[in-house]
Amino acid sequence: MEANDHEIVRRVLAGDKEAYGVLVCRHSQYVFRVAFRITGDDADADEVVQEAFLRGYQRLQSFESRSEFGTWIYRIAVNCAVNMVNKRKHEAACRIGEETDPAMQQVQVADTAAGPERTLLSCEIESLQAAAMAGLSATERTAFILRHMEDRSTSEIATALEIAPNAAKQAVFRAVQKLRRSLAPLRVNP
Amino acid sequence: MNHISEEHLIDYYYGEAESPAAISDHLEACSECAQSYESMRRDLGDIKPVSVPQRDAAYGTEVWRSIRGSVPAYEKPRKRSGWSWLSLNWTFAAAATACLLLVAAFFAGRQWEHRNGTSVANVATAEQGRQRVVLLVLGDHLDRSERLLVELKHAEPSTEAPLQAEARDLLSANRLYRESVKQQQDPALASALDHLERVLIEVSNEPAGLSQAKLDELQKEMNTDGLLFEVRVLRSRVQEDANQKRGSADARKGVSIL
Repeated sequence: MEANDHEIVRRVLAGDKEAYGVLVCRHSQYVFRVAFRITGDDADADEVVQEAFLRGYQRLQSFESRSEFGTWIYRIAVNCAVNMVNKRKHEAACRIGEETDPAMQQVQVADTAAGPERTLLSCEIESLQAAAMAGLSATERTAFILRHMEDRSTSEIATALEIAPNAAKQAVFRAVQKLRRSLAPLRVNP
Repeated sequence: MNHISEEHLIDYYYGEAESPAAISDHLEACSECAQSYESMRRDLGDIKPVSVPQRDAAYGTEVWRSIRGSVPAYEKPRKRSGWSWLSLNWTFAAAATACLLLVAAFFAGRQWEHRNGTSVANVATAEQGRQRVVLLVLGDHLDRSERLLVELKHAEPSTEAPLQAEARDLLSANRLYRESVKQQQDPALASALDHLERVLIEVSNEPAGLSQAKLDELQKEMNTDGLLFEVRVLRSRVQEDANQKRGSADARKGVSIL
């Protein structure tokens, strides 16, 4: 029978370092999923996964056995991913004057989804959606992703983002408002 | 008739309304709200979850392999007769050992890179990623130290001791960083960490808050403002190292930069 997460955490804290590998294998897929959804880049998401598990290991002594390891590591990953998004935004702001530099354009790969089977409309929706999401603040974007795509409750979002539940609710609210405004051009009036 | 606010409709849509039955009844009775809700439902329904690239079954093993070398084994818990400096030191020692290994990995990476010159480009991407994560952790230590120094700069005399707790927490890690850095011949970093350690000792040894006299002493005699500047410069340098590692990894992989 497979050991449960709490049992594995106890083993790791008792000196069995290799046991942590079991936790990494067990939880890395969905940690990657949320990291990718927040960062929007698979290389960044991979890095977030590594960082989350590394930080998780270092803080394992503060893990409280009344919570679930999966929820705990998920929360760490969300934090790492938000930090990554903020850092990328900062870097992008610093590079804004270099956009016409041909060398820069070589690393600006914008479209990874387009395929021959896609309709023009779905491409337009996707591109507007991506632009609208990029216009949100890191907290709004993450709160919306956790709410809309990860199906997390307000209290879970608040815990993951280390903000008050009301602030989490407001972040989702603002995100929905901004997204609806941005996607309004796609609405077909009857 | 009072209409339902957009905020409440959003809560209702996500199944978090305080009284869903009342909203449901209202939507049946009020065509204006029903129309607003329908429009919102359609808009949100159009926002599909981002499709996530697949990672194969071996992904977890790869992640573990990439971080395994950077984490030390925890020491088996020992029976303690009570809170004492000795027992506290064991706790700090475990955290400190982790830091030591991370720093050792960081400097080993830097030395290796230095010796191999242009062959750096051949380093595996996974290894670059691991080193970058190690740099991030070292950057974290400097970041936390910077925040403590900023708080110290703006601190009011107090009988509470939150800064002392943070200083104690940073102290043991800092000692090991300093020892490692000395061996790696990085005088700027070693000197800053040495200076930082003296400040941390002073702060953590104040048992009951910081008096105005102590704050003045730290600022004037220990030049905490100068130290803050040094730590900021070093943090930027470590961050640049981390970014360079990422930059070279990205260049090889050809991934996008947001």
